[in-house]
Amino acid sequence: MNEIKIIAGHFLKITFRSRMLVTIYAVWLLLVVFAAFTGYSTYTTQNTLRTQLQQQARQSWEANPDKHPHRMAHFGSFAFRLKHPLSMFDYGMESYTGNAVFLEAHKQNTVNFSEAGFSTGLLRFGEISLSVLVQLLLPLVLFFLGFHTVARQKENGTLKIVLSQGTGLGAVIWGNSLGLFVLSVLFLLPVAVAAFVQMMLQQQLPADGFVITRGLWLLLVCMGYLWVVSTVAICVSASSTGSRAALLKLLGIWLLMAIVLPKTLQAVGSAVYPAPGKFEFETAVEEDMLKIGDSHNPKDAHFARLKDSVLKAHHADSIQQLPFNYGGFQMREGERLSAEVYNQHLKGLYNTYTRQNAISNYAAFINPFIGVKNISMALSGTDFTAYRHFQNHAEAYRYQLAQTMNELQMEHISNTAPAKDAKPLSIGKEHWTAFPDFRYTHQSVQAITQQQLPAVAAIVIWFLFSFAFIYFTAASAKVL
Amino acid sequence: MYLLAFSNFIRSRSVLIAITLFLVTGVISLYIGSRFLQKQQAAVEAVTQLQQAQIERNVKNVPDQFGLLMYYLRFAYINKPDPLAALAIGQQDINNSIQYLTVRGLEGQRYDTGLFNPYNQLTGNLDLSFVILFLFPLLIIAFNFNVLSQEAEEGTWPLVRIQAGSAMRFIVQKLSIRLIVVLGLLLILLALAVVIVPVPLNSKLLMFSVTSVLYIVFWFAVSFLIIALRYSSAISALLLLSCWVLLCLLGPAMVNSYLTARYPVQEAYSTFLKQRDGYHTKWDADKDKTMEPFFKHYPQFSRYVWNSPKFNYMWYYAMQQAGDDEAAGDSKAMQNKLRQRQQLAEKFACWIAPMQAQLALTDIAGTGLQQQQQFLDSTAAFHESTKLHFYPRIFTDGAVSAENWAQHVPRYFKATAAMVPLFAMMPLLVFTLILGATGVVIFRRKGAAYTFQG
Repeated sequence: MNEIKIIAGHFLKITFRSRMLVTIYAVWLLLVVFAAFTGYSTYTTQNTLRTQLQQQARQSWEANPDKHPHRMAHFGSFAFRLKHPLSMFDYGMESYTGNAVFLEAHKQNTVNFSEAGFSTGLLRFGEISLSVLVQLLLPLVLFFLGFHTVARQKENGTLKIVLSQGTGLGAVIWGNSLGLFVLSVLFLLPVAVAAFVQMMLQQQLPADGFVITRGLWLLLVCMGYLWVVSTVAICVSASSTGSRAALLKLLGIWLLMAIVLPKTLQAVGSAVYPAPGKFEFETAVEEDMLKIGDSHNPKDAHFARLKDSVLKAHHADSIQQLPFNYGGFQMREGERLSAEVYNQHLKGLYNTYTRQNAISNYAAFINPFIGVKNISMALSGTDFTAYRHFQNHAEAYRYQLAQTMNELQMEHISNTAPAKDAKPLSIGKEHWTAFPDFRYTHQSVQAITQQQLPAVAAIVIWFLFSFAFIYFTAASAKVL
Repeated sequence: MYLLAFSNFIRSRSVLIAITLFLVTGVISLYIGSRFLQKQQAAVEAVTQLQQAQIERNVKNVPDQFGLLMYYLRFAYINKPDPLAALAIGQQDINNSIQYLTVRGLEGQRYDTGLFNPYNQLTGNLDLSFVILFLFPLLIIAFNFNVLSQEAEEGTWPLVRIQAGSAMRFIVQKLSIRLIVVLGLLLILLALAVVIVPVPLNSKLLMFSVTSVLYIVFWFAVSFLIIALRYSSAISALLLLSCWVLLCLLGPAMVNSYLTARYPVQEAYSTFLKQRDGYHTKWDADKDKTMEPFFKHYPQFSRYVWNSPKFNYMWYYAMQQAGDDEAAGDSKAMQNKLRQRQQLAEKFACWIAPMQAQLALTDIAGTGLQQQQQFLDSTAAFHESTKLHFYPRIFTDGAVSAENWAQHVPRYFKATAAMVPLFAMMPLLVFTLILGATGVVIFRRKGAAYTFQG
């Protein structure tokens, strides 16, 4: 144990002495400041803007005069997606997902205006967030700082001397891994501080965001990941014939894990589980909708049958004798059926996407980078399920809006059309304010943990595996 | 001698492995590209069928009210990708390449997105342009980083110096062998693209190839400069890789962050809100207030009667128009923002080679923001002409059967001529020359001796 401490201390002493570390650390700090600042400014501008727009949309909703409730169902509302505070740390997919959706009766609109849609194409080079720095760039830095440790000692013969003094190769690897890990924590420190400051600068953090719990989990996962990266660097260094070979191997590993595999796996995912495009999707939805019937079409067979049965149930001869507005009833029925069909299709589509992404999720077992990225995006509320959560929420609100308006129509609107120049049928505007505004909530930590179970398991396994890796490298590496 | 060195290089195991890996990755990228084209083609066919079916059904269901019929009917406007898009997918997997519009308000429709898996978009496409822009530099670095230092480290440098005569000649020979191999690889992949995708042999492909060649030569110039500095193999590798990280990852990402923060596009949202309010509030307003601006916008329609006793769709479509007209300012401001982003990006691109090459490749393939902007502009024109075709029929409540519905098939967008790439690639060329020349000067000054630094 003492040996390990000495070796770790020695590694740190040598590294701290080199001019290269100072340069790298200075650049690192600049990058952290840059990432923290852009993350902070994007979050604050966007959330302020979106909250403001949500209020503005609400104001114009409430400003409507007395009118027919179905007009209000078409007037509709908007849902703006609010960012989770930790999205300042990990941007995740947020640049690619839409941010605003128009919610109206009869129609499920797309969530529009993703940042990617406004991008010049540079977005494809990636983004610099604090998480990218820790998860993508820091491993490369650690590989730079760690590739020569054991390998160079091997090259210049000092390793032989060390070992001949009774220290085991295991202790050498342990010591250097620990040293490199301590170094990585020094790199992680400014990132954690920056994220902490980002959070503290917020006047108010959403209560359901569980920022502290999520943040601590993030920190833990990142540290576990950095330990794995450190041991990989040292083990490769110890098992290579020389430092040049170690460097090339480590760079190859980084390139494969961080750049090539994530892309390739998603391509494989979408090839294995092909998803329909927008128009294939729309055609399929429409086909099923036509089977139900058109609630706006008076001649429609399904709704004609419905009318007959309703009249029969109420012992009425005509809709004028019904105790409620028939138009509202029919549209409520239509909305229910069409929403059912649409949501079923959408669920199918999203399940296909989830299956495509599952390949990446399970790839965490062969690639810890993907695992840590998935967990980090999930905890930061910027992954696919967070987006899906928003969309489900928005759709539930849309449905509630449409049905509330239909019910108001059933209750308050007469079945008899007004005479020609008479005041058109309408209800009081107090009903508009009575209908609550859209409120976005974040997912619970528990739900996230469940979704990310494979990735969490993979990171735990990698963590345990790192000890086995040290053990086997120490046992099999050739010293001479 | 040269041939011998060449075959010696080609035959080494690591080089063979690298070339094979790149060939395989390249071929995969071509399949990904052609799959993208197939998906786009499938979408075109789907929308063509959908439009035809919807027109047929609605014309049958609503045979007596032109205005109501036009509430339902949608018309497709398609930005059909050039086959070259398979090699540089660019923004085309994010942007909507098919607009399917009613003659109602445009602003509420034209920003509708397609259905995408955001995870796929996040990881991006492994297309040929990615292989060229991201991976080729790494191959070049791997080939070049130790051409000189290795000889020194293995102690063969004095021997080589004597045999080769001039150190400069030796290095030029070595680099040229590697350049030929890399260019050969590029050529093979492009030839495979012609077979697999298939990409037609035309001037666009030529522009694409020239840009790629220039970009590759740029990375050779970078390598040459680092070699000339004569650090040890490890340091050279670190320096070259730092260049790669800086130019391919950090630089463009930082520029993008800056552009996003500098030009936030909040007008997009306000356009969204304004078009809704602009239209919907008219239901409660005095009808004259809607018709007046409409007739001002379209004086040619002022002779039509809108306030007949029967419900008239003219007022309805005038309300829709009001939504567009009231959102027009914000919509224009938004497009200006995007244009500003594009212009500033091009300025930055002059200094960061991969960015410049990326913008050039996507522009050639027609998959960049510029062409998307053109498409959106042109969409507005398409919407306008469709509207103007149907307005008189709606306003006079013309006979639905009198319209020749068969002529309403999807229309295709045609991009105006792409930029002149050679001119646009000037900065890259200049950088290559400067780097190369600096390399030569440093190399000469250091003479033939190999002393380790760092």
